[in-house]
Amino acid sequence: MVKSFGFLLKALLGLGMAAICWGAFLYARPAQNFVGESSRIVFFHVPQAWVSTLAFFVAAWYSWRYLRTRRIEDDEAASAAARLGFLFCVLATVTGSIFARVMWNSYWNWDPRETSIVLLLLVYGAYLGLRGALEDPERRATLSAAYALVAVVTVPFLMFAVPRMYQSLHPDTVINARGKIEMSADIRIIFFSSMVAFMALSYWMWNLDRRVSRIVRERAA
Amino acid sequence: MRLVAEGLSRSFGTRKVIGPLSFSLENGRVLGVAGENGSGKTTLLRVLAGLIRPSSGRVVFEEDGMSLAPRDASHALGWFAPDLALDGALTAAENLDFFAAVRGLRPDKGAAERWLAGVGLDPRRVADVPLRALSTGQRQRVKLAYATLHDPGVLLLDEPGANLDEAGRAVVQKVVASQRSRGIAIIASNDLRDLALADERLALS
Amino acid sequence: MNTPEVPLFRAAMAVVRRDLLAEWRTRIAVNALFLFAFAVLVLVGYAVGPTRLAPEDRPTVNAVLLWIVIFFSAMTGLSRVFVKEEEAGTASALRLAAPPPAILLGKYLVNILLLFAVMAFIVPLFLVLTSFEIKCPSLFIVLLVFGGLGLAGASTFTAALVSKAAAKGALFAVLSIPLLLPPLIAAVSGTQVAARETSFAAGLDFVRVLVAYDGVVTTAAFALFDAVWRE
Repeated sequence: MVKSFGFLLKALLGLGMAAICWGAFLYARPAQNFVGESSRIVFFHVPQAWVSTLAFFVAAWYSWRYLRTRRIEDDEAASAAARLGFLFCVLATVTGSIFARVMWNSYWNWDPRETSIVLLLLVYGAYLGLRGALEDPERRATLSAAYALVAVVTVPFLMFAVPRMYQSLHPDTVINARGKIEMSADIRIIFFSSMVAFMALSYWMWNLDRRVSRIVRERAA
Repeated sequence: MRLVAEGLSRSFGTRKVIGPLSFSLENGRVLGVAGENGSGKTTLLRVLAGLIRPSSGRVVFEEDGMSLAPRDASHALGWFAPDLALDGALTAAENLDFFAAVRGLRPDKGAAERWLAGVGLDPRRVADVPLRALSTGQRQRVKLAYATLHDPGVLLLDEPGANLDEAGRAVVQKVVASQRSRGIAIIASNDLRDLALADERLALS
Repeated sequence: MNTPEVPLFRAAMAVVRRDLLAEWRTRIAVNALFLFAFAVLVLVGYAVGPTRLAPEDRPTVNAVLLWIVIFFSAMTGLSRVFVKEEEAGTASALRLAAPPPAILLGKYLVNILLLFAVMAFIVPLFLVLTSFEIKCPSLFIVLLVFGGLGLAGASTFTAALVSKAAAKGALFAVLSIPLLLPPLIAAVSGTQVAARETSFAAGLDFVRVLVAYDGVVTTAAFALFDAVWRE
């Protein structure tokens, strides 16, 4: 049973996001090694990329569950995760591209991370396109679940096909070979708060989508 | 062999097409399913054949102490329907040989000809002709051969007499009689001549 | 009745024989594949030719072009194995008679044969038309084989998915591309290495990626096919 966020939780989420926006622009200082103020985009771009990747695995998980249980709620959860993942993937691609323009003067470079986010975008597009082409609810659920599962095992191969995944243009302050976080304290606090806030936001949105799906289904019956 | 249907129903979206239905049949019984167009006869047969899942209830094939769902019992199922289609580019014999091979049967060389003769077709006349070049009635008979070549315990016939002449109907009668002696048959039809071949009736509305 | 064990390989070979026989008589997929491949080849050959590229660029560009031709040929012809069954209405007869793994294996083998036939035609022609010099032929052939297997594997599975959907043609490519980008990138990179280096070991990493990919996609396809095939 998918419950709604209470008023308190939603208020907290709203205030938290507002605080992060304030902190991102007014509290944290620009980082070194970045052009001008461009490091601020990290507070938004990285959580978006993270959420869109996480959503992919959530969709795959619920796809697996659907094939085992055949409960339509599992399919609704999977497709909600995919829609959400698609949205955040678009955001991550766009913010990343803007950053690339400021930092390296070109919108796109086929850097390994850029390539992988595009691949994820294509997977989401394909999944949603498949769903759109299938009318019968059971068939739609089954076939899209199968696709999600094949995608989740084949897409990671990009990491092996593209060598030197870690050596990319991407600044390695967070994900790097040394495994250490190299951020100043003020940036660190805003960054991790933003990660938490984006995850909470996406969970809330995922919840909403599932509730809407359930209501639509129950109305139709 | 026993075929048991318990609380069977099937809906497409909000439209309930069949059910709830319950019945059971043993060897030697031939059931006729009657009803107007759209009453769910074809859907019922498809559910029994395992081509569609029921929305509720279940179908069980019981023999030798084992209970199987239709999808696990394809060796015991023969299905014939108007929308059943065999490969038009292959000859009748090639089609039948293929389905025998794919069912794991190892028939001898003359098996296809025997099956064709069994449905009243002259093997020499249909041997080198692609299926699409045969008449509808001839194709119908080949479909009957497809449905029976593996001696299924349960034979499902949807509108078996459609497009058939008197001789064709005689073949259907022979097939049903032969099935009665070793298994179960279910005939779904609008046509009274088809239904006359059955021993008992189930009317769908 | 004991549920008889249907020998899967034999059933799969029956599917292969029947599909090849039907294909031989109608030649639909074969025509589409070869005509398309040939047309693209002519275009590429004319535009790029043996002399238009600087020698140091040839490995990079020609490798990509070759795999583009192969990939798009695959997209043109490999969906037929399942789409034709649904369109001709023969799928139900097959569904009732054959065990699903045998069907998938049979269709997979048919696609492998089709794709390898097209590749045997395109690749030599491409090498000639663009004067594409391969320094390590053994690596090149291995990449073609395992790349082709990966292409056929993923395509066969997506063909099964789209056969029941609307807009099958467009959807087939849309679904296949994300699955095939990783092995295609590996195949292209490996081909670039094969064009430049004489040692097989230089491209071994890419061969490993392809072999692993082939294994994974085949396993996933067989595991999921039952759910996909039955309604």
